[in-house]
Amino acid sequence: MAWFTDRHFFLLAVTFYGLSTIYSVFLWRKGFRRDDWVNYLLLAGGVALHTLAMTKRGLTLHSCPVNNLYEATTFLLWALGLACLVYSLLPRFKFLAAFTAPVLFTIGVFALMPSLDPPHGPKPEFSGALRSLHAATILQAYGAFGLAAVAAGMFLMQHHDLKFHKLRAMLSLLPSIQRLELITRRLTFVGFGLLTIGLVAGEQLPRQAGMPYFSDAKVIWSALLWLVYLELLAARTFFGRSTRRFTIGVIIAFAALLLTFWITNLYSGLHNQ
Amino acid sequence: MELRERFAFAGETIPGALQALRDAGLATEATILSTCNRVELYVATPLAAETAFVELKKFLVAHHAFDGALGDELYTFAEPQSLHHLFKVASGLDSMVIGETEIFGQLKQAYELAFTHKFTGARLNKAFQRAFNVAKHIRTETNIQRGSVSVMSAAVELAEKIFTSLAEHEVLVIGAGETSEKTARALLSRGARGVVVTNRSPERAAALAAELGGRSVPFEQWPDEFEKIDIAVSSTAAPHHILDRATLAPLMKRRKNRPLLLIDIAVPRDIDPAVNELDNVYLYNVDDLQSIANEYLNLRREEVARCEQIIAEKVAALLAANQAAGAHRHGET
Repeated sequence: MAWFTDRHFFLLAVTFYGLSTIYSVFLWRKGFRRDDWVNYLLLAGGVALHTLAMTKRGLTLHSCPVNNLYEATTFLLWALGLACLVYSLLPRFKFLAAFTAPVLFTIGVFALMPSLDPPHGPKPEFSGALRSLHAATILQAYGAFGLAAVAAGMFLMQHHDLKFHKLRAMLSLLPSIQRLELITRRLTFVGFGLLTIGLVAGEQLPRQAGMPYFSDAKVIWSALLWLVYLELLAARTFFGRSTRRFTIGVIIAFAALLLTFWITNLYSGLHNQ
Repeated sequence: MELRERFAFAGETIPGALQALRDAGLATEATILSTCNRVELYVATPLAAETAFVELKKFLVAHHAFDGALGDELYTFAEPQSLHHLFKVASGLDSMVIGETEIFGQLKQAYELAFTHKFTGARLNKAFQRAFNVAKHIRTETNIQRGSVSVMSAAVELAEKIFTSLAEHEVLVIGAGETSEKTARALLSRGARGVVVTNRSPERAAALAAELGGRSVPFEQWPDEFEKIDIAVSSTAAPHHILDRATLAPLMKRRKNRPLLLIDIAVPRDIDPAVNELDNVYLYNVDDLQSIANEYLNLRREEVARCEQIIAEKVAALLAANQAAGAHRHGET
């Protein structure tokens, strides 16, 4: 079984996410009318295999597996998947899995690209408790933002159906729009808090002499991301931005995060040492 | 309706009627179901089915001293159709509103009355217990009882799609009409925090508010309530819109993004449809609610075939069990 590496476990996890995505399409087409556990169990299976993959990699490295793009991406997905499983246990939130699975599957397939996972040297380039804390909190923040975007998507669908008197709004077993808004806002706050901790922890990490923290592409990108989420939360909390605009903002911010995450990593001196 | 009224059994007379059936040798076991929509006798009889039907009809006519003519108003079933009918009744498939659940309780009450007075035996006990199980099975496995089939319940369901718990939300009733009162009652019964009533006649507003356990406000002041309430039900006799976009837009700013559900059950409409374009406003008029109720009814009708299939299977299973137990045939009217 030595040939069965952590990447094989992750491949299996992505397969489960794929099955969950296919099942989600059926649920979507049926208007989320029947409350069942199939999708939840598929996603739980995926997260279990995902956890195995990460544990195996972590035991090999003797550190938190967040040392290259593959590991960072899988950690992000794991945080998203786990948070989804927990939130799905709330009343009427079981269908969260149906909205999360496509995100997990799409990014999971992307993460499997071999170029994202170059072989490590004898010791990982990226180790130490503070570095692990920095990487883990930031990736968990992305997971929270991802789940917030999923909840925002559910809100927009329900909002649209209610506004335009679509019967699907009544027939679907989705949560109330008030609860969806609350979950979106809370997750965004949690993500923002984690991102702040991660950025502060990053600032404490050793770097080349004379290299300012905010000169690195990824740090600048992260700071911009922090400002975007700060604007979203402040506009919503203090300036009365409507729920619809807030949720659209949360989705756009996460989509931008996904699209630029890998590119900025490539241009980051600090993250490619 | 008139005929049903003539043949209806008052609850306290049922044990006597059951005893009379037994004394006349028409039934060894019997249960009488008498509701506003049906009067049914379920009996296990030693007589042949055709004879039993004639005798039971005579019993009904004599018991109620009915002297009119009877046509095809009476229906009779022997096994297996009688079991099929009983299962359909228990599941609400034979009700005026398909899938309604009230009949389940009424049937249970009728059975328990007969059971308590020892008018049921192995035959009816098994049939009724199975009927209750089938009804529960159908309720969980199909969508036959799903959704709101009246305007009032559709409004409540709608509110629950917007608000997490009605307990935190107050309802404003504009116009003390019957439908708005019923809608407010339905919302209160689902836990709405309170009700504010306004009407052109302050006396009527005060009377309805007292009845609903709420408070009344002068008609000119109801827009001021929009900051506090989250659901408004409007049904005035005004010939024009009493709430338009220009009036509501500044009020919405004061609500700090809280959603507002507006239910306009007036004809002509009280609320300008353009208010639905405002953020956080969800406007439904009586046609919207009616179409929701109709769609649910259609969905229930679509489920009937599935329910019939389940019932056919359960009847066959019960008959097989009875046959194995060497049970005798019996007729039902």
